[in-house]
Amino acid sequence: MRDGLLIILFMIALTSLCDTFNQLFLKSAIDSLHFPGKFNLAGVFKFIFQLLIKPRVWLSFVFSVISLCIWLLVLSKADLNFAFSADSMHYIFIALASRFVLKERFGYLRWLGTALIVTGIVFVSLN
Amino acid sequence: MFKKKVTLKILLLLFASDILETAIHFFFKKGALTRAEFAVTDLASAAVFLKAVFSSPFLWAGLLTVVAVFIIWSTVLSRIDLSVAVPIASFSYILVPVVSVIFLHEQISVLRWAGILFILAGVILVSLSSKERIAESK
Repeated sequence: MRDGLLIILFMIALTSLCDTFNQLFLKSAIDSLHFPGKFNLAGVFKFIFQLLIKPRVWLSFVFSVISLCIWLLVLSKADLNFAFSADSMHYIFIALASRFVLKERFGYLRWLGTALIVTGIVFVSLN
Repeated sequence: MFKKKVTLKILLLLFASDILETAIHFFFKKGALTRAEFAVTDLASAAVFLKAVFSSPFLWAGLLTVVAVFIIWSTVLSRIDLSVAVPIASFSYILVPVVSVIFLHEQISVLRWAGILFILAGVILVSLSSKERIAESK
């Protein structure tokens, strides 16, 4: 069971990492577009069409598919509540990526919050 | 660079994405459960497993919901920073365990609930640190 838990956690880390790449590529593609001022449905669909012709969006899509495949394997073995809670480790990856790749700035509260999430994942896994 | 402030409309979109996000994981779990007894030991058996799971209607219901969430996220992320949007869209950390207990009959120990609360507390702190950034940039 202990070996099983480690493998499941490793697979969840892989999906989290893929999700982080997915979000980074998506965010980078969206930042390169100008969003229409109006918040209507037509504007949204036009925006999505402009997104879909960006190669970065397709890279993001590839990472989503890899992430989904690993995630389905995880879900066939682990409880949903455990897998979903442990999947919050993507916060750690997103915090690091936001800081070092997107160069967003944030203070100590953000790091404290991330540390609490790490503690939570340990508790959830100790079960 | 901070973009625009979080409006009520964006907040509502994020809460809608919480509920849809919970639905996604419920559907995927139901899809994966259709082949729970299948032993995956290598890439070949993983491919067989995935092929079987991808024929489950639950999986496709989940994927449709993913598209809905993608549309919501594309809109939200063009308006606010990733580090602001992600924390607010996190109430699914409570919703998913609740759905797991009610609909999937999973059991959650006290220690695990404690862990879930730690994660949620962490998420709220991360949100507060985003608010701090908004105040600073004014």
